Amino acid sequence: MEAGDDGGPRTASGQRRVTVSDWLESRALTLVAVATGVVLVVLFYYPVATVFVEAVVVDGALSFEPLREVLTSRFYLVEIIGFTAYQAALSTVASVALGLPGAWVLSRFEFRGRKTLRSLTILPFVLPSIMVAIGFVATFGANGTLNRLLSTVGLGQVSLLYTLPAIIVAHAFYNAPLVTRMTTAAWESIDARTVETARSLGASPTRAFLDVVVPQLLPAILVSATLTFVFTFASFPIVLALGGLQYATIEVFVYYRVQQLAYADAAALAVVETAVSLGLTYAYLRYEARQQTAAFAAGARPAPRKRLIPRSFRRLSAKDALSRVAAFGYGVVVLLVFVAPVASMLLSSVTAPDGSLTARYYEFLLQRQATATEFQVSPLPAVLNSLLFGVGTLLLALPMGVVMAVLTTRRYRGRKLVDALSMAPLAVSGIVVGLGLLRGLVFGVEAFGYRFTVAGAVAIVAAHSVSAYPFVTRNVAPLLGNLDPRLVESARSLGASRTRALWDVELPLVAAGVVAGAAFAFAISVGEFDATVILATGSNSYTMPVAVERYLGRRLGPATAMGCILLFVTSLSFVVIERFGGRSRGV
Amino acid sequence: MNRRSFLKAAGASGVAAFVAGCSAEPVDDGADGPTANETGGQNGTEGETGTATGTPSGPETLRVATYSSFVDAPSSSPGQWIKERFESEFDATLEWQIPDNEINYFIERAAQGVDSDADAYVGLDTNMLIRVDENVDGQLFAPVESDAVEGRNAVQSGLEFDPQGRAIPYDTGYISLVYNENDATAPQTFDGLLRPEFEGDLLAQDPQSSATGQAFLLHTIKAKGEDGYLDYWEQLQQNGVRVLGTWEDSYAAYSNGESPMVVSYSTDQVYANEEGEDLSEHQIRFLNGEAYANPEGMARFADSQNTELANRFLSFMLRPKVQAEIAVRNVQFPAIADAPLPEEFAQYAKEPETPVTFTYEELKGNLSEWTDAWARQFASN
Repeated sequence: MEAGDDGGPRTASGQRRVTVSDWLESRALTLVAVATGVVLVVLFYYPVATVFVEAVVVDGALSFEPLREVLTSRFYLVEIIGFTAYQAALSTVASVALGLPGAWVLSRFEFRGRKTLRSLTILPFVLPSIMVAIGFVATFGANGTLNRLLSTVGLGQVSLLYTLPAIIVAHAFYNAPLVTRMTTAAWESIDARTVETARSLGASPTRAFLDVVVPQLLPAILVSATLTFVFTFASFPIVLALGGLQYATIEVFVYYRVQQLAYADAAALAVVETAVSLGLTYAYLRYEARQQTAAFAAGARPAPRKRLIPRSFRRLSAKDALSRVAAFGYGVVVLLVFVAPVASMLLSSVTAPDGSLTARYYEFLLQRQATATEFQVSPLPAVLNSLLFGVGTLLLALPMGVVMAVLTTRRYRGRKLVDALSMAPLAVSGIVVGLGLLRGLVFGVEAFGYRFTVAGAVAIVAAHSVSAYPFVTRNVAPLLGNLDPRLVESARSLGASRTRALWDVELPLVAAGVVAGAAFAFAISVGEFDATVILATGSNSYTMPVAVERYLGRRLGPATAMGCILLFVTSLSFVVIERFGGRSRGV
Repeated sequence: MNRRSFLKAAGASGVAAFVAGCSAEPVDDGADGPTANETGGQNGTEGETGTATGTPSGPETLRVATYSSFVDAPSSSPGQWIKERFESEFDATLEWQIPDNEINYFIERAAQGVDSDADAYVGLDTNMLIRVDENVDGQLFAPVESDAVEGRNAVQSGLEFDPQGRAIPYDTGYISLVYNENDATAPQTFDGLLRPEFEGDLLAQDPQSSATGQAFLLHTIKAKGEDGYLDYWEQLQQNGVRVLGTWEDSYAAYSNGESPMVVSYSTDQVYANEEGEDLSEHQIRFLNGEAYANPEGMARFADSQNTELANRFLSFMLRPKVQAEIAVRNVQFPAIADAPLPEEFAQYAKEPETPVTFTYEELKGNLSEWTDAWARQFASN
């Protein structure tokens, strides 16, 4: 495509004239890094610090009393923190167990709609927890789909709701797709030749898989497992809605203490929560560093996918047949865990209280669109705002995340610490961030006789980007770390700036990770709630999840109808992002 | 797309994002004058940071903060009706503000030394008032002399909950059990709930985050005493009571047939009737013949510059016709005795023989301890 020396205009003597755009290009990495730092400080570190300081400062003096109290309380240590870690560990195991076969099916088999399905794996991520709770009650409840299925085949009732398994299955609903997604990306970038080499050297298929494929999948599996643990460790609405208070987690108590304005306790709990999450992230990153090899580089040729439904069943070997049966068995599990709750939700948006079909909840949305006043939430602006913020987040979080990935793949002392800190937005309680934003930015900070406030649509996009960029980083950094450093060195020695080397050489090679990160960034923005409601000044910046929450009432219909709009709009967006991203892969 | 220009645009948007969302204003030195307003759209005008200063000329603006379902419920809510009526009668603009953190938002503002930026608050209860008094130095709300607000004396005395006369009750709800009589007949008493036949039948809400959950907990303290309620809850828990996070979670589960009893409002049938639902699925049970009353009040912010208009608004809210309209649209009982309620409302909104409630004095100093002790016990089992 473009030649390497397409840079600025040249003078007659052939000397390169330094233009503003050249300067910008050569400094682009630095500029984006600085901008990232500023956005992070303003929208994350400063707000969160205003809350965390309460854990260590009592009446203006440094004291670790609140923290000490939490750490010496049997109740908090065993019942709350211990339980939180326990359920997060179980949830992580369940998510990986449910997600890995998905990656196997998506990366090893070809079937109609595979790409669309792959795009949609991110969908659960954006579903408001109340919708998931409604879907789960309808699927796994006493009168739910599962029990009706069981009774038609003559089996007894199971009561899954309000138990630990309910929480774990719901967490798997949210996080297994994450595992699937990240592992599929890794699986698809495994070079088939490495397996062929192992086989030609006499390794059995199983041995080749264990020795060649698994090590290359492991980082992706562990990233997704780490993220799953971090998310489920901070889980809050799902725990309450499907488990109940007897299964309270740290975040439930953080929320409760914040509601009671008991900030010392809330901050102390949140500090513990963050320390665990970040500690784990750090531990993972150290592992990842050891795993990094410069082995695979440009031009990986993945093995061809097999047809899920073979042309002929006659010539199918026993092993191939078995793998199809396993894939279909997995399909049944997927139907129950992912499709049934979503279908139940769709169904409840068209079901009247007496069980008949009705369009009135959608009519409600139309009517609300036509008659809502300025202080009421109407559907179309919610859709448009969500899309606008989503695209804004994409544009902001992608450069932020890529630059952070570049910075964290350079070699220097303490790099893993910087890397772990850059992941902090994932590890800090959403409630704490929300509270910090409110106090630090919405009310404003006094300085030099002025009160500085940050709020409104732009602040929302920036806040969304802060929570989204770590996903871009985590999707891109491992791939970037695996690239042969000589590629960049050659580009640099041929005169390319660091930015140009990134743009022309590295990014095209890690395009899969960038596209995956983009989908996550969009998803985070669409699903985000805490910062949105806090920074949305006036009534002009509400999003689809806010509308879903607003439409909840005695009847579920209006909220589920809005939830289905959310589902539809975001599904479409993900397919568009990945199709568009997929096409530009060869750039 | 040209990759280079894309990169530039993306980088620039990052910088722009930081700049455009900010605003800086001179700090109010406490002198008189218009206060800056950051929250709430300015009557249809856009504005990301929403900074505008009120001008002395033209119609006055009254800023009233409330909870979202008071103005924006999917079924019915009184907000829009009140706004239209009020504006048509007074030469003023009523601007609703609905901060997500509700009263905590204003407590936070006060703690940060920022003006309230609102004139009145609609939707206070005893628990919130205690939280305000425990966390705000000085006055967040101003006491209202009864002669300043017309109709103030018509409020039923049983609903009064603020000993300092700041909050004026405008409606009240009763928290009771709602049950589906096709699946179970709810017991008559609190003790009855412990019987094996009701095992796993009751859905309640977390008192830490839900008003109905809090009211139900307080009702059990009323019934079983300060020394007995924890034991009672231990037994309830053994009998499979489910405590979910919010009223929405639990009501959704109830509607899906997950359990035959839920803690909710005694006005449940009003909605059910409007929706043409089977009323057998919306039976009301007052345990021990009682229900916990949770009156809702309104108050004027102490730093409001709009005292007179705010008082006129408070008077307006207490008029019999407005009281009836609020009752119907907010599905709560009016605060005055002679509101002209439609017959249907009276038929489907159930009132307990004996409403019970804790007074401000009884709750102050106890509320958080009771709730904390309960939460620790419940989460430990």
